Amino acid sequence: MNTPSTLAMILAGSRVDELDVLTCYRPKSAVPFGGFCRVIDFALSNLMNSSIERIAILSQYRSFSLINHIGTGAAWDMIGRFRGISILPPFKDNMDSADWYLGSADAVYKNLDFIRYHRPEEILILSGDHIYNMDYRKMIAYHYEKKADLTIGCIQVPLEKAHRFGVAALDDEDGERGGRVLSYWEKPAEPQSRWASLTVLCFRPEVLCRALEENHGKNSYEFGRDIIPMLMEQNCRIYGYKHQGYWGYTRTVEEYWQSNMDLLGENPKIDMEKWGVRTNLAHRGICDVQPTLIGEKATVQNSMIYNGCVVEGEVRNSILFPGVHVGKGTVVEGSVLFFNNEIGENCSLNKVVADVNSVFGEGVRVGPSLGKDFGAVTARDGLNPREPGMAGAVTVIGWNNQIPACTVIGEGATIDPQLPAEQWKKCVAPGEVMR
Amino acid sequence: MNRKHDALVLLLAGGVGSRLNILVQHRAKPAVPFGGLYRIIDFSLSNVMNSGLTKVGVLTQYKPLSLMEHIGTGEAWDFTGRSRGVKILPPHTGFKDSDWYKGTADAVRQNIDFLEVNPVDEVVLLSGDHIYHMDFHAMLEYHRYKKADVTVAMMVVPKSEIHQFGAGIIDAKNRIIEWEEKPKNPRTNLASMGIYVFNRRYLLDTLARNRDEVDFGMHILPRAIKNDNVFAYPFYGYWRDVGTIQAYWEANMDLLRPGSGITPEKWGIRSNVEAEERRADRAPARYGAEAVVKGSMISAGCIIKGTVINSVLAPGVVVEQGAVVKDSILFADCVVDAGASVDLAILDKRVHVGSGAVIGAGSNRHIPNRKKPTHLYTGITLIGKEAVLPRGVVVGRNCIINSQTHYDAYPENEVPDGESV
Repeated sequence: MNTPSTLAMILAGSRVDELDVLTCYRPKSAVPFGGFCRVIDFALSNLMNSSIERIAILSQYRSFSLINHIGTGAAWDMIGRFRGISILPPFKDNMDSADWYLGSADAVYKNLDFIRYHRPEEILILSGDHIYNMDYRKMIAYHYEKKADLTIGCIQVPLEKAHRFGVAALDDEDGERGGRVLSYWEKPAEPQSRWASLTVLCFRPEVLCRALEENHGKNSYEFGRDIIPMLMEQNCRIYGYKHQGYWGYTRTVEEYWQSNMDLLGENPKIDMEKWGVRTNLAHRGICDVQPTLIGEKATVQNSMIYNGCVVEGEVRNSILFPGVHVGKGTVVEGSVLFFNNEIGENCSLNKVVADVNSVFGEGVRVGPSLGKDFGAVTARDGLNPREPGMAGAVTVIGWNNQIPACTVIGEGATIDPQLPAEQWKKCVAPGEVMR
Repeated sequence: MNRKHDALVLLLAGGVGSRLNILVQHRAKPAVPFGGLYRIIDFSLSNVMNSGLTKVGVLTQYKPLSLMEHIGTGEAWDFTGRSRGVKILPPHTGFKDSDWYKGTADAVRQNIDFLEVNPVDEVVLLSGDHIYHMDFHAMLEYHRYKKADVTVAMMVVPKSEIHQFGAGIIDAKNRIIEWEEKPKNPRTNLASMGIYVFNRRYLLDTLARNRDEVDFGMHILPRAIKNDNVFAYPFYGYWRDVGTIQAYWEANMDLLRPGSGITPEKWGIRSNVEAEERRADRAPARYGAEAVVKGSMISAGCIIKGTVINSVLAPGVVVEQGAVVKDSILFADCVVDAGASVDLAILDKRVHVGSGAVIGAGSNRHIPNRKKPTHLYTGITLIGKEAVLPRGVVVGRNCIINSQTHYDAYPENEVPDGESV
């Protein structure tokens, strides 16, 4: 029977504290990215383009936005007789008092019956939080070629950054393609290899099920920290598959901003058109917006703008999601503006990440000053924009804010979602956090 | 709660629209792209959806393929569901009826069984080739309030244009007392918009009377006005018949002017983004570091490195460095190579303009097209689907370049004003 052999399980539950206000109301995988889509669309589009069509999404933190986004799964062609996306939330279990997913491995463990029901020949465990383009079929082919119990997708990172990831020492059995994993360290203090785990894990199902059962009842339930080291200890056949290309992990606001900037330029590092990134156009009704209107006096350079925007001012080096309005005389530079932000006239936004639905009153200035017309944000305003360590910091605006006219917000500031009107003040200091 | 209006909609989408020239070479007029993301018929279908009407028949005849694909299941306009639906009604042979549609009334008559199986009180008759926003629910309420047999939506147009329309003379209660179809010397400036509400029973009886009456405007309405209750429903707002190249171009340009009154998004106009090439399924438009874009409408998937002024770009259009696009309408996936220039032109899908080529050269806009002087006479040049314009070729004003023409079609490197290839 023509049933699919691969079951993909996407870990999409996490919040990621460093993304702060952007993940107040949604898991990281549902954070908007690239002017029209969400972070998880990269994993989903990779799956679609790899013809993997049986998907489970493990989600627990504020899943509403994610569930809304997935819809029927039709956007990624995952609807049909043997195709589909199942969202697997945590559930009450009479046998066990711990109902919430206690870690990535526990989330999969609690859904072992789902795995057994689908009887896959291989299980692909993915993170829904990363920006990359990968044909999983090549990795699965390698997995079979090596008769591996587990194949780990790996990518080279600078040695000084490797301490943040799971790191594998690989032998050069297959040169460019990959090799046996000789050692594996989870977030090592002193990394001895540059091969970091992409959180793309291809398991032989029996091995996965056995490992999860053996790990159950211990007090830690993570693939990187617990399952992989355990399988290493048991001398399982574990291989590393070397992935070449871009990998955006966006765990901090700065990294998130940088990944967005990687969409821009003559030859962008992230080419969503080439990668075949698809999103659910019904989410937030982005299929219902008209093409973007660029005004008579507008300037748009080195930027990405989807449908549904109105630009009357200047937009440079920025990414605008549908429904953003940029008023006359306003300059937007190096910023990422999520859905339906209304920027009034004569504003200046520099290095800003603004979550959805905020209204910027006339003359609002956010971030480092832009050019002579706007006047420098100086000590005179009660601010010191060049505080050491603050320069160039990204300013983050949480969703549904009404920013009063002429407010000045220093760079690196963080504004909580839906700040009450009375809490606003004329000047928000650089790096200040308004809760 | 959803109040049931129970009116049946018949959308007449069979017109050839021949004055749109090569834009209707491969598609019916209602399927002609408009405003970057839309097709003309989206306006009628969305108006139907937004009026809460849920049963639609679309009468097709001329080149219906792209139209049928575009309508699909009707899901884009919320026409799928237990009691909702959109049916394509093509001409058919049968026991008695075995011919192509001879006119609007004939088309409806040939689908009388569709009217008979839907026992509703009223039938809304629309044409699928106008750009407008209208609440048919309000019109139905008006029709019921007036206890009319037929209600005709009408609006005031300049007297100089009335000769293209059916014209009505009304009394103080908006009852139509006289009718002139496309009058040469009009006595009124009230024009029919081709939108009618009929009592279903009345429509069935009328159509059964005389099979030689094949057209609503020419035959059915004049007699109804003479003998029965026909009311005018006054419409104020944006409405355009984009049946000519000039009108089509102007309506597109209206999109770029804030005060013109056309706002598809606010009107709630939807398109079927799943059909043909998944038009909205593109990455956001990319603007290069030296791009200059002014007063234009840009769809997702465009890549703009050159200059775009006062133009409407459908998804996937590429404007390379140093290229200039001005006062033009470019359909999906056109490519304008480096240094090329496109001025006052309409480019159908996937046209490729070679580097340094000039479309719309010179300033003489007054030499009409030699073969079709009534189609092109204001300076607009038309380029057909998938035409390839070689590097450095110069095309004048009021020219027509046929679809899929390639390098060998240009013996000279120049197409003078008013010529065709």
